[in-house]
Amino acid sequence: MSILYPQNEMLESRERMVLNLYLVTSLVLFLVMMVLGLLMRLAQGAWMDMSPTLFYQVMTAHGAGMVGTAALASSAVMWFFLRKYVPLKTSIFLANYVLFMIGAVLLLVAIFIGKFAGAWTFLYPLPVQSLGVWSVGSAVLFMVGFLIIGVGFLLFYLDAMRGVIRVYGNLGRGLGLQWLFSGTVDPDHPKTVVASTMVIIVNSLGILGGAVVIVMSLINAYDPEIALNALFAKNLIYFFGHVFINITIYMAVIGVYELLPRYTGRRWGMSRPFLWAWAASTLMVMIVYPHHLLMDFAMPRWMAVTGQVISYTSGLPVFTVTAYGALTNIHRSRMRWRIPAMLLILSMFGWAAGIVPAIIDATISVNHVMHNTLWVPGHFHFYLLLGVLPMQFAFMYHLIGRDTDRSVSRSDRLGFWMYLSGGLAFVFMFLAGGHASVPRRWATHFPGWQVYDQVASLSAALVIVALSLFTVRICLGLMHTPSSAEPAPAGD
Amino acid sequence: MTAQMLVQIPLLLMAGILLVPVIPTRLRARAARWDQGGVSGLVLATLAMAFWMLPRSLDASTTDPLVALAKFLTVPLLIGLPLAFSWPRAGFIVRGVFLTEFVATFFRLGWLYRVSPIRLCNNYGLGDQQRLGNYMLWIGGGLLAWLALKLLAGNFKSLSPSSSPGAPG
Repeated sequence: MSILYPQNEMLESRERMVLNLYLVTSLVLFLVMMVLGLLMRLAQGAWMDMSPTLFYQVMTAHGAGMVGTAALASSAVMWFFLRKYVPLKTSIFLANYVLFMIGAVLLLVAIFIGKFAGAWTFLYPLPVQSLGVWSVGSAVLFMVGFLIIGVGFLLFYLDAMRGVIRVYGNLGRGLGLQWLFSGTVDPDHPKTVVASTMVIIVNSLGILGGAVVIVMSLINAYDPEIALNALFAKNLIYFFGHVFINITIYMAVIGVYELLPRYTGRRWGMSRPFLWAWAASTLMVMIVYPHHLLMDFAMPRWMAVTGQVISYTSGLPVFTVTAYGALTNIHRSRMRWRIPAMLLILSMFGWAAGIVPAIIDATISVNHVMHNTLWVPGHFHFYLLLGVLPMQFAFMYHLIGRDTDRSVSRSDRLGFWMYLSGGLAFVFMFLAGGHASVPRRWATHFPGWQVYDQVASLSAALVIVALSLFTVRICLGLMHTPSSAEPAPAGD
Repeated sequence: MTAQMLVQIPLLLMAGILLVPVIPTRLRARAARWDQGGVSGLVLATLAMAFWMLPRSLDASTTDPLVALAKFLTVPLLIGLPLAFSWPRAGFIVRGVFLTEFVATFFRLGWLYRVSPIRLCNNYGLGDQQRLGNYMLWIGGGLLAWLALKLLAGNFKSLSPSSSPGAPG
């Protein structure tokens, strides 16, 4: 049996079609959103004229688009591997895609026709207090778009939940809670199931929180007399928003667990610390969001302190078991250094390095001076651009590969190094800007700040060229190369 | 307001649920053809529930005997009965969507009743409205906790493991 492309990952034609829709759409959306990002940096660097109104529209589209697309691509990774262990419905996977596209169209109409520019976080009461820049109708359309996308993801998680419960009895057993304190851990209990169960629990609750605050914001939009508590609304929005974006890495990391052992040729066993790490992160990912509200002086002090402490520990358990497991898996393993393996390693670096600025910013005394600077975009671009996205690209490259592949093509190698160098330079410009106290979300920058924007623009262009190479290569591969559905004759 | 929403309407709904056994089997079989996966019944119950959540509907039912009669008939027949009839036919995902929305509605209405500066029903005082809001938030929280516990540690007999791939021993 093929080592890289096992038989139980074969795709039926309908499954392959839906998966390809996810992957091609994700790549195209990533490209478009990156171009929007580049336009913002060009405008800040004074290399391009853009009105502040348009800048904030572009910023809103970039934020909402990137968060949604990262979730879309990560859910494809989760679906592909989870369906080996539990029954999943392709129709639900397709329904999520269709609802995502409907929601995305509503968001784009709200932004570029309705001129909504209240950022992807739609923080109350900004959507309904635009000072005449956009209408209440545009704000409503934007929030309804989010609601529809949320319904799609809820369906996806409910289907996954049904599958896990059907095979393992309940979510606790899927998460491996029965082995936390005693008993012999089943060495064959799939890591994919553990990670997926965590994602199902956390993101279902996140979507529930989002659904509550969005509908309340809609009520307020049409009846402003029903005023909401702005701090409470912000808590719910960040509970939903932080969980939703954070969970993209926990879905995508399934690709690391599934693929890395195939490229190293080594087994990556299940262990009690692994289960403890995922159980702990299940709880901590839900309570870490107050680090977004450390500047809100009205927040209860205990919540701010919790936000700081949990920020130090939230990502650590899963990251530690994953990074340690990956390193021991790679050590002296005769790794097959193909492009998916290279991207997986890059993603581990991006994850590790990307959380450091977050931990620094989550320290209350630092947060008070750094949170509204480019330091924070520096963190999440590091984490997403060099952590989450490479996991997703590794999965896509793996799909179009063959057992018989022996080397990395010149264009792939070039794309990889361009992506890495451009990505690093790009995120370091954000971090350097933050270090120099350049504020974030400012459409116009003073001349002294523009050097960061200009270097970032060049770096972003490099990343876009690299992603274009990836996109062409992966799309052609998906069209022409038999993927895991028809494994090529085993070369190993 | 609290008594009407949290006592009277749920009791009427229960009455509808208790009606299921007296519906002739032939009629149930005919209705089942229009209720694939329990969706039609749950949609009907949801729409009827939405109507009886409108403050003006509640108001009218306390002042107009005809509307009151409509409530006494429709809550059991258009909410309780379809709910009891369709729930066993609904799959995990349909139930999941329904329950998620049910819990979210408790949170939304609870929040709304707590923060509304005006009386939403003319027949009830602001204090009653805010008390109801508090109760609804507590009920929503309780339902969510129960669901979370059930999903984490409960038994799901309807989801047989025998028909699924890779069932663990």
